Amino acid sequence: MEEAKMVTKSLFMSYSRNAPPALKDVTMDIRANSVTAFIGPSGCGKSTFLRCLNRMNDFVRDARITGRVLLDGMDIYSPEVDVTNLRRRVGMVFQRPNPFPFSIRENVAYGPKLLGARDESVIDEIVENSLRSAGLWEEARDRLNDMATSLSGGQQQRLCIARAIAVEPEVLLMDEPTSALDPIATARVEELVRELKRDYTVAIVTHNMQQAARVSDTTAFFLMGELVEYGPTDVIFTTPTDQRTEDYITGRFG
Amino acid sequence: MSIYLLRRAADRASTAALYGCMALSAAVLGLILAFLAYRGVGAISWEFISDHPRAGMTEGGIVTPIAGTVQLILVSMAFAFPVGVTTAVYFNEYSRGGALTKALRLAVRSLASVPSVVLGLFGLAFFCVFLRFGASLLSAGLTLGCLALPTLITASETALQNVPREFRDASYALGGTRWQTIYKVVLPSAFPGIITGGILCVGRVAGETAPIMFTGAVFFAPGFARSIFDSVMALPYHIYVLATAGTRIDKTEPLQYGTILVLLALVLGISMVGIVARARLRKRL
Ligand SMILES: Nc1ncnc2c1ncn2[C@@H]1O[C@H](COP(=O)(O)OP(=O)(O)O)[C@@H](O)[C@H]1O
Ligand SMILES: [Mg+2]
Repeated sequence: MEEAKMVTKSLFMSYSRNAPPALKDVTMDIRANSVTAFIGPSGCGKSTFLRCLNRMNDFVRDARITGRVLLDGMDIYSPEVDVTNLRRRVGMVFQRPNPFPFSIRENVAYGPKLLGARDESVIDEIVENSLRSAGLWEEARDRLNDMATSLSGGQQQRLCIARAIAVEPEVLLMDEPTSALDPIATARVEELVRELKRDYTVAIVTHNMQQAARVSDTTAFFLMGELVEYGPTDVIFTTPTDQRTEDYITGRFG
Repeated sequence: MSIYLLRRAADRASTAALYGCMALSAAVLGLILAFLAYRGVGAISWEFISDHPRAGMTEGGIVTPIAGTVQLILVSMAFAFPVGVTTAVYFNEYSRGGALTKALRLAVRSLASVPSVVLGLFGLAFFCVFLRFGASLLSAGLTLGCLALPTLITASETALQNVPREFRDASYALGGTRWQTIYKVVLPSAFPGIITGGILCVGRVAGETAPIMFTGAVFFAPGFARSIFDSVMALPYHIYVLATAGTRIDKTEPLQYGTILVLLALVLGISMVGIVARARLRKRL
């Protein structure tokens, strides 16, 4: 079994001083080169947890976070951490495909350019490799200068994945990446997720339990801000220890 | 059943009223344009738009005020566009709603409600006298820029607010800094909207008389302004002069309506260019 890529220790998070905590005492590992799925009913804190892992919650002004989040043993909330560098190492794909209103090529090139890539041939190479990894190269190679919005929803989401991996992150966070897609596009993204774990550590939120079962190695079940149970996906889906987990996966609530 | 019929009647009546009002506004606009065209079209000729005024402005053309108005637009926008967009970026992207922002917003709102003649007197006192720019293209352009600022700021802010959150999230998640996100994603996405705001302002700037009559527009200039410290003729002021200062009304009245037509064409032309540019930008973005 691989070592932990990211670790959270007693993570508490609340959106404001008076709000009830959105995350309560979450302690878990995310193992390197594996897919970890987060399941649980809507509003249980899955997105909140994911956004703690790349500090996207920094934009919530009154948010309070306690506990620790480690990336390769380094506390990402410690003052000397460069947040932009952290976000490059821990990439994110969002629920709705959100390509920039630029061309396909410029979307993928955005991250590398932020990092200072100037040489067009280097950028071309990054664009091709990223689109290949995201399974979009064959469809996009002849229209790299077309607007990203001319792609279908499923293609746009794969473009967003290509854009995220263009900066060579170590971890890829995906927040319900298929919830806006049709079944065929969903199947393609799921296939991609399984391939991505070869090179990346993937953490994926899904409200679809079949999806979690199909793509993940480890599954974590959240309920009302608490991590109820986590473990190997086949164990969670066949012999969960916690009654609440069993109730959820057998469809008794949520 | 009767309630249903009643509702349908009410629906039809309100639809008819809507169309009626629309037709009325269109008719008013059409009437104004037709009237101006009827009175002015006789004066339009190549000579009219390419010659300087002659013989105490009872003859010749209006190329001097046309050029002056274009110069005024350029100077005012060179000032107001960067200042306005920067202010909007500050309001929308940086400020956290503190005391400074509140004060600045209040200032902008007040500026929007200042009558243009008061703005003209401010321009005279501040740009012409205090900053010693004199009655010049520069002073008049800056005064017009002040006039354009509130509209430009509001339009830019709206355009910035309309940039979807998702674009910013995507940029930040790729390791973009705030400035990179604004510069590379937010501003380009907002640009078509900002351009629209700019066009509206140009229309107003081109047509205003009061802000320029004390600050740099002159009754008559022997030729084009060659430096920003020269005074200029301008179309709206020229119209005002022709309408009020002439003794040979029989000769100046056609010229006056011709000038009005040219001003209208200029403003509409700029709007067209802007609209086309915006459509292009939208398509490209
Ligand atoms: N920006 C926010 N401000 C305040 N509360 C929020 C915000 N985002 C989420 N919440 C609250 O935090 C809780 C967890 O939300 P979220 O993490 O989005 O759940 P999930 O992704 O599992 O559906 C919910 O009660 C939600 O209302
Ligand atoms: Mg969510």
